Amino acid sequence: MPPVPKPPSAKKGPNRNVVIAIVVAAVVAVALIAGSVVLTRGGGSNDATPTTTGSDGSVAAPVALVSGIPQSGTTLGSPKTLTKMLAYEDLQCPYCKKFTDDALPAIIDEYVRPGLVKLDWRGLAFLGPDSTKALEIALAAGRQNKLWEVIGLFYEKQGTENSGWVTDQVVDDVLASVPGLDAAKVKADAKSPAVQKQIAAIQNEAKVNKVGGTPSFFIVKGVSQPYQLQVALTPEAFRPALNDALKG
Amino acid sequence: MSDRGLRIGQIVVSVAGVALAAYLTYVHYQPAALICTTGGGCETVQQSKYAVLAGIPVAVLGLAAWTGALVLAIWDSELARTLLLAIALIALAFAVYLVVLQLFVIDAVCTWCMINDLAITPIFVVLTLLRLRTAEARATD
Repeated sequence: MPPVPKPPSAKKGPNRNVVIAIVVAAVVAVALIAGSVVLTRGGGSNDATPTTTGSDGSVAAPVALVSGIPQSGTTLGSPKTLTKMLAYEDLQCPYCKKFTDDALPAIIDEYVRPGLVKLDWRGLAFLGPDSTKALEIALAAGRQNKLWEVIGLFYEKQGTENSGWVTDQVVDDVLASVPGLDAAKVKADAKSPAVQKQIAAIQNEAKVNKVGGTPSFFIVKGVSQPYQLQVALTPEAFRPALNDALKG
Repeated sequence: MSDRGLRIGQIVVSVAGVALAAYLTYVHYQPAALICTTGGGCETVQQSKYAVLAGIPVAVLGLAAWTGALVLAIWDSELARTLLLAIALIALAFAVYLVVLQLFVIDAVCTWCMINDLAITPIFVVLTLLRLRTAEARATD
């Protein structure tokens, strides 16, 4: 019997499973992306996200710098850390800004994040009304454990000394850039007796420590007396001083 | 390339995806451990509001997807291939979305995320499609 030729196979359509997979993928992908867009828009249900800021979803550098590091009032760093560096600063002082720009990021990354040193910001206001206004806001933010974000943002926006640069708009912008901060409460607390008392206490402490200008830095180990660091405002200058403090 | 070779490729790529997503999940909860070579872009992206979807870190979603892909690549069946295709296409679409977010919305680039979005995921998609074509060619023979 001669071989029967096979009929030409009909052109096959796409595999049913593949079609199902593509449809399922499209539905899930659209749901994921739409969910992300909707939930990250304005006051969506992702308010619990701890470190968001800005309408564009970006995080300001000063906020990112201290993100994830424990804060308590004016201190930044692990509560278990015994070695503390006091930083006496005025938010209008250009050298304080220089320290914040040039040395602070390295100090935070190398000493504070690993839990070796904690920082204590001792705000002063001797340059003028802008210093006082910014300091009150910063310390009030400290009552919500957000002081370090606020001072970083103030330095970022620092204007000419006593030019009136700490406007209400600048304050609003700074506070709006700190995720999880109750801005209304900060503004209310800024004029509170508690904050005014804190400012006076820091001024007295600065006198006791013979702080001659800003920025001034002191090391405190446990309950020992603070001693002053005389260093340039660079990471290279702070490293040996902090290493010595950790050894001693 | 044979189906076996493509499947091994999928397993290798999935392992890389699991490792990367596990690292990104870890640094989501331990930001101090983040190693970033692009001037803080990783931190910015990791801490943006887009890093969490409905309370679940995107890194965790990635870890779940890559773990699922690895299991399916090891489990060699027609159903597994179909599910792998679905996962690959979802991952590709979401990766494109994440790249757009980094470049145009967050305005910061996370190197680790980009490796996942622009290298690992597309390679996995290509391997999956090639494997599907191989299977279809085998079926028509």
